[in-house]
Amino acid sequence: MREPLLAAARLNLEKVETLLVDDSVASLNLLAQVLLGFGVKSIARADSARAAQGLLKERTFDLVISATNMAGVDGYELTRWLRRGALEANRYVPVILVSGHTPPSQVFKARDAGANFTVAKPITPRVLLERILWAAREDRQFIECDTYLGPDRRFKNEGPPPGIEGRRRDDLKGELGQPSGVNLSQDQINDMMKPAKVKL
Amino acid sequence: MSGVVRKFRPPNRLSMLVKASGGKRVKEALEAADAALEPLRAPSLAILDAALADIEARFGPAAGAGREGEGFQDLYALSLRIIDVAGFLPESSVDQAAVSLCALVDHCAEAGAWRWDAVDVHVHALRLLRGGALEPDQRKAMIEGLNKVSQRRLEEA
Repeated sequence: MREPLLAAARLNLEKVETLLVDDSVASLNLLAQVLLGFGVKSIARADSARAAQGLLKERTFDLVISATNMAGVDGYELTRWLRRGALEANRYVPVILVSGHTPPSQVFKARDAGANFTVAKPITPRVLLERILWAAREDRQFIECDTYLGPDRRFKNEGPPPGIEGRRRDDLKGELGQPSGVNLSQDQINDMMKPAKVKL
Repeated sequence: MSGVVRKFRPPNRLSMLVKASGGKRVKEALEAADAALEPLRAPSLAILDAALADIEARFGPAAGAGREGEGFQDLYALSLRIIDVAGFLPESSVDQAAVSLCALVDHCAEAGAWRWDAVDVHVHALRLLRGGALEPDQRKAMIEGLNKVSQRRLEEA
């Protein structure tokens, strides 16, 4: 469960080097204004993924927020490139992708490109700030293999997909049987998971 | 590194910076962001209206036979332009109608053919929702209807 925003919580984004990428000037302006309101002092803007790649080869950033749908190189390709081809210091930077159209296929695409989070447009300050804080508190490990570099996509511990043998040491082997016996009551489950004090 | 999987925890600079002393409370940050957005309200709504007018002229019924030659990507991009700035009309559901239009265009592009009846419904709905005269339950019903229309694929239509 990720933490919701608490109004009284304090955060400091003043020294966060941020890169915004969008080929829509209007969207870029909106994002920049929101971040200025949050207190971010250093905001680099790129109006294309190509321009962003140039910046990511030269400067170190602490946060990248990019649109997905852009002419030429899109946000997914930019993220994939960033994880492999940017400066070493930028390869693990939190990436938040923003998109006006977020069907499951696009969200999976963002995840598989190595993005940390996807935010649906229109941008609202509350949602964006929440995702920035989630990115700051990111507790997922990074996975690097032939086909992927980015935050662990299997953070829910659901195991490998059915019919596919897991590659991790802690993946269970063998066929799963059908569940047997009646369901435990919630109280029984609670007792097993979290023993409670009792008065005798 | 064929077949090798490396699992590691890279340093997160953002995490360290956010915790530095100073800064703002969340409430103050959100209020400041809202205030910073306000100067963009009028130009953003102008962008939204221009995109809607462009959609009507090029993809609406008024375009006549000329719209057959228009590209799927162009209507998709115009719909996204509306979504970009629709945050300034939070109760209007304009963004949801534009998202439904994106889904419709996606399906049309997959099928390689326009569904003009469905496009027309979306264009009319966007104009009505932009007008802001609908009650909340009317807007809700309209968006539900649009989603049903856009989710139907060509072979089912």
